[in-house]
This record gives sequence, C-alpha cells and structure tokens, in this order.
Amino acid sequence: MFEVRNLHKRYLGIPALDHVSFIARPGEVTGYLGANGSGKSTTMKLATGLIEPTSGEILFAGRPIHDDLMAYRQRIGYVPEEPHLYIHLSGLEYLVMVGQLRNMDRKTADTRIDGLLHLFGLHGDRDAAMSSYSKGMRQKILLSAALMHNPDLILLDEPFSGLDVGSSLMFRSLINELAKRGKIVLFSSHELETVERVCSHIVILHRGKVVADDSIERLRVLMALPTLEEIFSQLAVEIDSEAVSREIADLIHA
Amino acid sequence: MHNRSMLNQWVLWKLQFRALYRVFFLRLVDLDLLSADADLTRLIGQFAVIFCTFSFVISIPLLLMNGATLVMENAWMFEHFLIETAMTVAGLIVVLNWDAAFPDKLDVLVLAPLPVRKSMLFLAKVSALFAAPTLAVVALNSFSGLLWPLLFRADNSGFVGMLRALPAYWFTIFAAAGFLVLTVLTLQGLAANLLPRQMFLRLSAVLQAAIMCTLVSVYLLEPSLESPAALTSPQNQRLLAWLPSYWFLALFNQLNGSMHPALAPLAARAWAGLGLSILGTCTALLLCYFRLMPQIVEQPDILPRARFASWSPRFGSPLTEALTLFSLRTLLRSRQHRMILSFYLGIGLTIIIGYVNTTPAGLRSAKAAISTSFLFASILMMILTVAAFRVVASLPISLPANWIIRITQVRAARAYRNGVRFSWLALAVTPVLFVVLGLVPFIYPWHNAIEHSGLMLCLGILLVELCLFTFPKIPFTCSYLPGKAQIHFVFWAGMLIFLRLLTGAARFEERLLNRPLNCLVAILLIASAALGIRYLGRSRAAVTEEMLFEEKDPAQITQLKLS
Repeated sequence: MFEVRNLHKRYLGIPALDHVSFIARPGEVTGYLGANGSGKSTTMKLATGLIEPTSGEILFAGRPIHDDLMAYRQRIGYVPEEPHLYIHLSGLEYLVMVGQLRNMDRKTADTRIDGLLHLFGLHGDRDAAMSSYSKGMRQKILLSAALMHNPDLILLDEPFSGLDVGSSLMFRSLINELAKRGKIVLFSSHELETVERVCSHIVILHRGKVVADDSIERLRVLMALPTLEEIFSQLAVEIDSEAVSREIADLIHA
Repeated sequence: MHNRSMLNQWVLWKLQFRALYRVFFLRLVDLDLLSADADLTRLIGQFAVIFCTFSFVISIPLLLMNGATLVMENAWMFEHFLIETAMTVAGLIVVLNWDAAFPDKLDVLVLAPLPVRKSMLFLAKVSALFAAPTLAVVALNSFSGLLWPLLFRADNSGFVGMLRALPAYWFTIFAAAGFLVLTVLTLQGLAANLLPRQMFLRLSAVLQAAIMCTLVSVYLLEPSLESPAALTSPQNQRLLAWLPSYWFLALFNQLNGSMHPALAPLAARAWAGLGLSILGTCTALLLCYFRLMPQIVEQPDILPRARFASWSPRFGSPLTEALTLFSLRTLLRSRQHRMILSFYLGIGLTIIIGYVNTTPAGLRSAKAAISTSFLFASILMMILTVAAFRVVASLPISLPANWIIRITQVRAARAYRNGVRFSWLALAVTPVLFVVLGLVPFIYPWHNAIEHSGLMLCLGILLVELCLFTFPKIPFTCSYLPGKAQIHFVFWAGMLIFLRLLTGAARFEERLLNRPLNCLVAILLIASAALGIRYLGRSRAAVTEEMLFEEKDPAQITQLKLS
C-alpha cells in the first residue's frame, strides 16, 4: 500500500501542498487530478524522493519511504511530466544505462530492453540519438525505463503526452493489465476521459488541497453528476470557460 | 499611398531583421552550459571587458616609451603581434560558433511558417555571424588600436602620417580578422556542399576541432620573422607563403606608406587572399542557402547511427560501466565539451612542441641518456589532460535529465564515487599512459622506461584523487553557477608559473631515473599522497549517502555555533 499522510510542502514560504492525505492500493489505478499548479507534479516528486516534504510523510508497505530511500527506489517506476532525457544518447544506450544504474542483471536487462523496444515499435531506431526522436518516441523510452525493472509502485505524471492514438490505447490497456497483476499505479493526467476509463479511484487536488478522494462511481452518486468532467469542473475549475473563450476571440478580433 | 505602403513594409522588415538578428546573435553561447540564473547579455559584456582589459594592458608600454619612436624591426614586431592576435581571436570565435553558421532544421521549421522572407533570414544570420568577431576585434583594439598606430607612422611623415596610420591600422585589422573568418566559413561551406550530408555531419566535429587546434598552435608556435633579413631569406619564403599574419603585416605597411621592398610580395598575397576568401564565402553561403536548405528540411527526422558505433566496451561493475560510458559518450558527442577539451589539449601539444624545439636534443636522445624533453612532455600532458577533464566535467550536459540518475540511486554514494574514480582514470589517465607506454621503450632503456611509466601512473592517480577531492560529483551532471568560469583564468594564470616548476620537475625525475631506489621511494611517496587524499575525501563524504548534483550558493548567514 502507498499512503500519503498529512503531506505539506512549501516553496519559499508559498504552500504547494496543504496537508494532503490519500491511499493508493495494489491492484488499483488511482487517478490524481488537478488543474495546472494544483500540486500534482509536486506530489509526484515527493513520492519519488526527488524532493523532501516540509512536513508529513509518505509510506510504502507501511514504512516511511525516507527510512530506506534506496530500497524504496528499487521498487518504483516513474514517468515524469516532461520527457527530459540525455538526448545525446541513443534510446538503447539510455535504457542500458538505466538498467545498470538500477543494478539489474545484464542478461535480464538486455532481454527486457530488447522486448520493450520491439513492443513499443522503437527497435528500428534504437541506435539513433534521442535528439532526433519525436515527443511520443521519447515518452515510450521513459515508459520503458520506468517499467523495465518490474516495479511495485508506478508513478505516472501525464504519461500520454505526445503519444499517438494507437500507442495511447495500448498504454491504457497496459495500465489496467499492470494493476490487475497487483501493482500500485498512481496516474496523474489532464485527460479526464482516459482517467474515467482507466482509474477505479480518484483524488482531486485544488490549490494544494484534496477536495475529493473516492471511487468515480461514488462521486457520481454523491455529487449527482453524470461524468467525471462535470465533477472535476465543479470541484477544481474556477474559471467560466465559455466567458474566457469569448473574451479571447474578442481580443484577437479587436 | 504607394509610398506609405512601402514605408510600412520597410518598418516591418526592420523589425523582423532586429528580432531575428537578436535571436541568432545570442545563440553564440549555449544556454545549456549556464545555470538558470545566468544572464547571457551580461556574459557577452564580461567577455568584451576581458578583451578591453587586454587591450589596455598591452598599451601600457607606450606610457613607458615617453614619446620615443620605434625602430622598424620593433614596429614590425608589435604590428605583427596585434594583427595575429586579432586574427586568432576572430578565428576562435567563428570556430566556437561553428553550428550557427548556417540555419539548422529547427530554424527552418520554426521560422518557415512565419511571414519572414528567406533573404531576411539569410541576412540576419550572416549579420549575427559576423557581429561577434567584429565586436571582439573592436574590444581587443579599443585602447591599443588608438595608441599603437600613432607609433607605427612612416618615418618623417609627421602629423599626416599619424592620420594615415590610424585608418590603415583599422582596415588591416578588420581585413586580417575578416580573412580568417571568411576562410573558416569557406572551408565549412565547401565541406558542406562537396561531401554527402551525412558524411559532412559526422566530419564536421573533427574539422571544427582540427581548425581550433591549428589556430591555437599557429598563434603560439609562429616563428618571429619580423626583420628584412628574415623576410627576404629564401629559406623562409615557403613558410611565409603559409603564414597569413605576415601577409597582413605587409598590407598594413603598404597602406601606412611605410612599405619595405621585402614586404611587397606578401602584400600582394594579402590582397589576393582577402579577395579569394570573400569570393569563397559568398559562393559557399549562397550554395548552402539555396542548395542545402531544402535538403535540411527534407532529410529524415531520425538519422540511424552505424551499428558498429553502438558497440561499447565493458568496464567492471554495472554502475562503473554506466558512469564511464556516460562520460565517454558525452565527451565524444557534445560539441561544447569536445571544443574545450581540444582547446586545452591543443595548447598542451603546442607547449610541448615549443619546448622540444627549443631543447637542443629534443626528443631524439641516445638510448643511454635520459631526455628531459620527453619527461617534461609526458608530465605536462598528464597534468593537462586531467585538468582539462576536470574543467569539462564541471559543465553539465542536461540538468533537467539528471532526475534519472537521482531516482535510480539504489547504492550508497561511496559506490558512485568509486565508479566516477574509474571513469576519470579510464578517460583522462589511461590515454596519456598508453602514449607514454608506446613511446618510452624507444626512448629510454627498459628499466628507466618501467620507472617512468610507474611514476606517470602514480602521478595520474594522485591528480585524479586531487580532482575528486574538490569535485566529488558525477561528471557532466552538476549545475554551473555563474562565476565558476574563473577556474579557467586561475588555471591559465597558474600554468605560467607552473611551467617553470614543471621544467624543474622533469630535471628532478631525470635524476631519479638514474637511481632506481630513489625512484621507487618517489613512486611510494606519490602513491601514499594519493591514498591520503582518498582517505580524506572518503571521511569528508562519509556523512552523506546522497550524490551531489546542484551547485548551491554559500549560505548568506554564517552560524557562529556559540552555544
């Protein structure tokens, strides 16, 4: 079980996360939703140990992750929001490097890398520098790097960004498949339709605070709203989107 | 109505030109090298101040001359120095700006959808390309270019001569710098047009590094021929035909009215060279824009690397292998890192060639005797290679991509330090050691060869330990705070003092090699020093298990720890 308990994070005194708590369970895909700047990526960075909380704690398998960060890192896979890669390396070189950094057995790493490159359709371009890869291809490399060591906890921050339709559909099924096999998946996305199809449980964040934490079905019933989009609009969207679009159109016509 | 529309169009072109010019000009410095807080315009200003300071310093001797005039040989020496310095600086800037010479794919894709004419793009790019060397040359001559020419006037020419010397000097300086810039561009443009595109892209980096090393070496090794006897000597004619700085020395004297018959053929060569370089650059630029640009756009997005290039050597543990290969690939593939390394190694080679040339026996000593030149050369190359690696290792390749190293840290920081140590030894020490091992059996008797190789190995290890003590980080992953560049200046200032020490060290080693027991003691002493530094580094790092990535400013508040 992955548990976030009373997590608080301030940047230069400005609160990014305000006492956030939720639980993500094995076999379940937890959707993590929020508008830009609501604190989703901060939570993800805290969950990976890249940054430390101001207060509160994150527990994995009942233990605070900072008790043994290295053992925890062995068990997580992370796809960041932006595809930041060492683009002077080829896709193959990058994945081999990640395998070595994770202390994976060479034979196992080679087999999995080869398989992942084939399945993601990157095998033909494995020796090309990643500087020439499209955003979708880079995203697939990130996904491969996050999954190749068979992690127990998978943290996905906008994983569909840049993927083509076919890859998105395949990846959607993959998330469900991984959850079925007992993995804990924390899935942050802006694509509400995908979240609705993939996630069994959602956490909605607004201005650094949790405003909803339940299954989609229960939220629908509780709020008497038919879709996740409407639930999200009511809880986390402050702007009148129609009025703003009219103003933008007026501005460019003026 | 028609005039108004023309005026509007002109204003639009001016705005477009300004915007594009600024974008292309500021691309001189790769932003990835700088920390997020660095200000590019300030950095360019700092470079200009360095050049101005240099110009001021070399103008100080004029104050000591107290109005005296220069004899011809002395005048030629100073004229030649100023011309060759301006040429080298302009040449180095254009070499550093290598990839900005022609629009790349990103330029074409980003700018093509905008309503910008192709000719405007061309004009802005060319203007930005020439602006940097022009600014550097102006800054480099900001003081010296106003004072020195007054002393270079023709004999008995009085005030009119002074008035003539100034424009003659500035024309010559710009012509000389322009010649070198245009020649480099011609070479690059011709290579781009004559070679298949893929081959050019692969060879471009080698060509850039070769030109860089040539410029530095020629500047430092160019013989002093500033006398009528040397300039007319038949044995120097072949050499003079290949030294453009002397052509422009002649050109200056021709324009200044102080022409000597010995300089006449060289002045003709300067005019011809200038004309050819202008013609060559115009042809290369036009061909590149109208022939290559469509090819750049049409080339496939993904350029596969040859399969054999993906072969990688195996080094020790997976972590060691990962860190060593990462460092090796960064050095081989990153233009900035490669250029800085070439610059250091080019200067090292130049000092060695200069030293060997000024030493009577050079490297060719009888096997029975020990050549100090070879000892000097090998010690210097070991120190310079490790120092150059230290400098480039502190420049990050991509800070945002470091998250993968941080998130995959599943071992203690100690294991990373061992991996980093191995990569330093493999990439900085081993190549020099191989060269020494390859040459030393031909130069020394076998027992001296073994002793020297042992000393070199220990020296390499000691240097690596020293570097790791001050820089205990994964190479190419740390942020670069503004102000850290002073390491370069400190290094080169230290180098001047250091060369004298190094000559002494080479002589000391020569004595050691004649006494095997003393040599063994020296090896043990250096090895102990290396071990001591390693122990100190380990004790200092024992408190942390996390690797260090970010450079942080020192704390603003210092704790006094009184309680």
